[in-house]
Amino acid sequence: MPVCALNNMISVGLFTTAKLDEIDVISDEFDYAQIKAALNFGYLTRKLYVSFLERSGYPLVDVRNEVLDESFVEQCDLLHLNAFLYLPMRNDGKGNLLVAAADPMDERLQGILEIKFNTKIKLVAASDLDITWMVHKLRGEYYVKESVFSLMRKDPESSGLTTFTDAQLLFIFISIAFALLLLTVNFVNSFIFFNLFFSFVFLFSIVFKLYIALKGSKYELVEVVTKEEVKAIKNDTLPVYTILLPVYKEDKLIRKLIWNLRSLDYPRGKLDVKLLIEEDDDKTLNAVRNLDFPANFETIVVPFHMPKTKPKACNYGLFFCKGIYLTIYDAEDVPDSDQLKKVVSLFRKLPKDYVVLQGALNYFNKNENLLTRMFTLEYSYWFDYMLPGLQSLDVPIPLGGTSNHFKLEKLRELGGWDPFNVTEDADLGVRVFEKRYKVGVVNSTTLEEANNEPFNWIRQRSRWIKGYMQTSLVHMRNPIKLVNKIGWRGFFGFNFFVGFTPITFLLYPILLGFYIIYLVFDLQTVRILFPDWVLYISIFNFVAGNTLMIYVNMLAVFKRRFYELILFALVNPFYWLMHSIAAYKGLWQLIYKPFYWEKTNHGLTKMSHSASAAAANASANEV
Amino acid sequence: MKFRTQQLRVMSLLLVIYYVVLAWLFNRTGFEHSERLFYAEKLKLLFEYNENTLLTLGTTFPTTSFLINVIFAPFGYLFAPVASSIVLMSFLFFFLAKDINNSVLPHRTLMISLLVLFLLHPQFIFAATSGRNIAAIMLFTYLLFRSLFFYYKNQTTYYLSLASLYLGALIFSEIKFLWMILGFLPFVVLVSIEGIKTAKGEPVVFQYYQALNNRSLRRKLVNRTVSLYFILYLLPLAAVFLFRVLNQSHAGDATYFLSSQYSNWRVTGVSTITNILEKGSGDNLSKQTQIIFPLFTIFLAPIFLSAMVLFKGKLYELLTIFTPLIFTSIVLIDIQYYLTTEYFVIIPVLAFVGFNFASAIKLNRFMSSIIILVGVGLTFLGGIYYFKETSDFEEQKFTKMITGTSNWFGVKKDSEEKVLADYIASVKSATRPVLIDDAAAYGVVAHLPTLEGLVMPLQKNFITVIENPQLSVEYILIAKRHNLKHNFTAMNAYNMLVMKDRLNLRSNRVFETENWIVYSIR
Repeated sequence: MPVCALNNMISVGLFTTAKLDEIDVISDEFDYAQIKAALNFGYLTRKLYVSFLERSGYPLVDVRNEVLDESFVEQCDLLHLNAFLYLPMRNDGKGNLLVAAADPMDERLQGILEIKFNTKIKLVAASDLDITWMVHKLRGEYYVKESVFSLMRKDPESSGLTTFTDAQLLFIFISIAFALLLLTVNFVNSFIFFNLFFSFVFLFSIVFKLYIALKGSKYELVEVVTKEEVKAIKNDTLPVYTILLPVYKEDKLIRKLIWNLRSLDYPRGKLDVKLLIEEDDDKTLNAVRNLDFPANFETIVVPFHMPKTKPKACNYGLFFCKGIYLTIYDAEDVPDSDQLKKVVSLFRKLPKDYVVLQGALNYFNKNENLLTRMFTLEYSYWFDYMLPGLQSLDVPIPLGGTSNHFKLEKLRELGGWDPFNVTEDADLGVRVFEKRYKVGVVNSTTLEEANNEPFNWIRQRSRWIKGYMQTSLVHMRNPIKLVNKIGWRGFFGFNFFVGFTPITFLLYPILLGFYIIYLVFDLQTVRILFPDWVLYISIFNFVAGNTLMIYVNMLAVFKRRFYELILFALVNPFYWLMHSIAAYKGLWQLIYKPFYWEKTNHGLTKMSHSASAAAANASANEV
Repeated sequence: MKFRTQQLRVMSLLLVIYYVVLAWLFNRTGFEHSERLFYAEKLKLLFEYNENTLLTLGTTFPTTSFLINVIFAPFGYLFAPVASSIVLMSFLFFFLAKDINNSVLPHRTLMISLLVLFLLHPQFIFAATSGRNIAAIMLFTYLLFRSLFFYYKNQTTYYLSLASLYLGALIFSEIKFLWMILGFLPFVVLVSIEGIKTAKGEPVVFQYYQALNNRSLRRKLVNRTVSLYFILYLLPLAAVFLFRVLNQSHAGDATYFLSSQYSNWRVTGVSTITNILEKGSGDNLSKQTQIIFPLFTIFLAPIFLSAMVLFKGKLYELLTIFTPLIFTSIVLIDIQYYLTTEYFVIIPVLAFVGFNFASAIKLNRFMSSIIILVGVGLTFLGGIYYFKETSDFEEQKFTKMITGTSNWFGVKKDSEEKVLADYIASVKSATRPVLIDDAAAYGVVAHLPTLEGLVMPLQKNFITVIENPQLSVEYILIAKRHNLKHNFTAMNAYNMLVMKDRLNLRSNRVFETENWIVYSIR
């Protein structure tokens, strides 16, 4: 039987046979080198392993600074390099091919490479992370180009590479010209017309949201998967589950990430966790390297390619996924421990056309400041009421950024995420619907970190709103085709929910401004623009719209029992003004930097999930 | 036996036909409720008049009833209020009958009781055929309490939101129901204590003791109570606020919809206590005092007692059913009007809330049926007693009409307003206009075939015309001194005298009815 470093570690008492047996099962299932399974499935710390290698006479070489003969690397497939963690470097001048390997004692690898290169192989030790970094950098070009351009090639109509089509530009410019013409010819009546038109768009959009929220609230106690069903699942029947963790400069969150992953109730040998790191992100890579406890994820380095977006990283990660199902989490996410089992159970129950399940998102730092409270209210109504409401109406569901669980095969069939869309998740939700598949909602929550800093919040929100604009533009390129694909109900649902959302944010300060000018200054000119009936409708829309917005937010606290937040819903009109600022920023970027990924800084909170859980426990103990 | 939805739809439809026939018969006797005429006139103004349409649409109150009438306007302005009442009553029947399926009580007995009430009970028949807004009040009351009980069972915000919407609709059917909010206070607090799940199974007092003596639970209790209040009350209160803002901006008075005789029938239509005392017909008036009145409403609807006997549920469910009684007590604090049918007829409706959602078989099924049927029988008698003793003038007219069955199939009689309208229609023209103040004469305007040749307060030149009527109009319609609406219109006997003195007006009395005189002034 071929020997590897782990066998030698057992002989010196640094490892156990039982663990090796488990690793063998994993490496067979995933087709990985044993050392990869050991380092990425939580069996072995890198520090311990490196010190063992050094003591065994295998000092690590710095492959990132070694001289390489790329002709050898070019003979290798990236998937194999990545799975067995080796990097052919050069001939050593003595007839040996020098190969850097994470496990320089791996006899099986040595055998394979000798056959492959038909020469003697000399394995030298190198950090698995450095090897990963190098192999992806050197051999990842094809895959990264695929992840950027594949959707555009397969389904150009769904790609956001073109922000505005010629027809759309023509429509926009003709509309602007027509509006200006009308305003020039008859300013007062045209102004009144536009004022009323936008005022009604604003009101309809909010009334529609209230309607969906009410629909959704009807199902708030429906448990699509019960605890009993979760308990009944046998671990050996569970499929391999891929978790994608796209990160960028999240070095501070790596430890937390590992603890969060450990709390998942899923057999670790069936969790295919991929940490997707950008090529230039040494901070995160070093944080992984310096961990003093075993990591339970595999690091994938995404080679540099524009656009530098999360969907591109996820598409790249797709090539290395082994699961039947796949989900995405952010680094700071704390999913319910039984979430994956619930998803498996629900997928088994649902018809085959359900290809995505969205989990609810909420925040663990909800009581940190006003912004986090408002964010919590918003997310609660969005995920607890709006999404189930949309599902019950059978209209497209814009997926949330994380905790969306896919059937991997179907995700690949759909072409993955659009790397040019900055809300690739919302876009994918619509594409799923277009292909006549369905999105479901699972009764499980992932806690995230609410943005607690206003400028950071605006950055994040501007990206989301820009993404909604992009999604809207992409799918409305040919409205008739869209109607044929998703039906009238889906069409209206999509437009009211995705298309009108940025429009309402853009309109809000304008309508508010007009109204305030009228109230405060009572100018004669303004009075002309607000004849009685216009004023009547404007007041109605303004008061009714704001009240409904507040009410919809208030509804949200009920399911979650966040009763202490209900009064904060009254601040919603001001919160909407922040949305408006973000919307204008998003619009600006849509025109000038459509693919720019406005990065949200995470880890700003002073509260941790465990601290908030402890606070909850403390208050419970008072009883 | 469960009732299928299809069966219930057919029964509701048959009920509509039954009410239409009754309404037709009543109409033949000349019975027309003034509230119906008020709505009919507003509909006519809305659709046939070009001036101040927004004011008509935006300030006419009760808004819910008026807007529902708008939907039925194609059936004719005069019939629309009756049609809407009939349809709303059939909806009420449908929901009540549908919910019988949820009840543990004998379904057939409940259905028989329901049919007895809807087919024979005078208050139900009055609600359906008079064209008043009572049907809307009954329907929204039922839907409100039904939603609350669904909420208790399912604990989903959906039903709480629906309750809030129905409460809003109820308030906009009759503004006094705003006080129902205070009536809700006790049970909301109890629902909150239930929600925080402390000392489960213990008496409520002990649960309170626990909750109030623990900082965390106290905070939770307060937060949950406040949340419930917000979810339940925000929409109705915001709607009232919005309506006040709109009235302020368009009529210059935030309470225009409540105080103006042009926008609210109640200002001129309901019998004031003073009028009742003047006419010496206050048999029921003495019962409209604190404590007595809620008991009196139950006395007239013993079916409520049946519901209490058969009640099985939690304390807050009991308090929920008692809410209307608390509400009427609050309403009586400052009341200058006689409380009419709508305050009585909600009691049997609440009894059915109890039967359908919070009841149990007591003794055995047969005895439970007897308890219900005795309650229904006595409630039927209570309905007859109510109309026999009512102090409201128009309800007295209804009693007179309904007891004079010989007139039902005799020669068709016209109401006073119709007779007057026929005369005015025969003399008015664009060149010979008539000055009418629809604050009081809305019934006459409702009967006119067209609005052409009229000068009314909605017109901008009304003030100018009333200053010197002889320059602009041929006829004026004047309310006589004993007309109950005499004080609500500028076109009354007193002002006629003033005009005669001031303008040296020459006038000829060309047509006269019991309450009105038409003068020719040229």
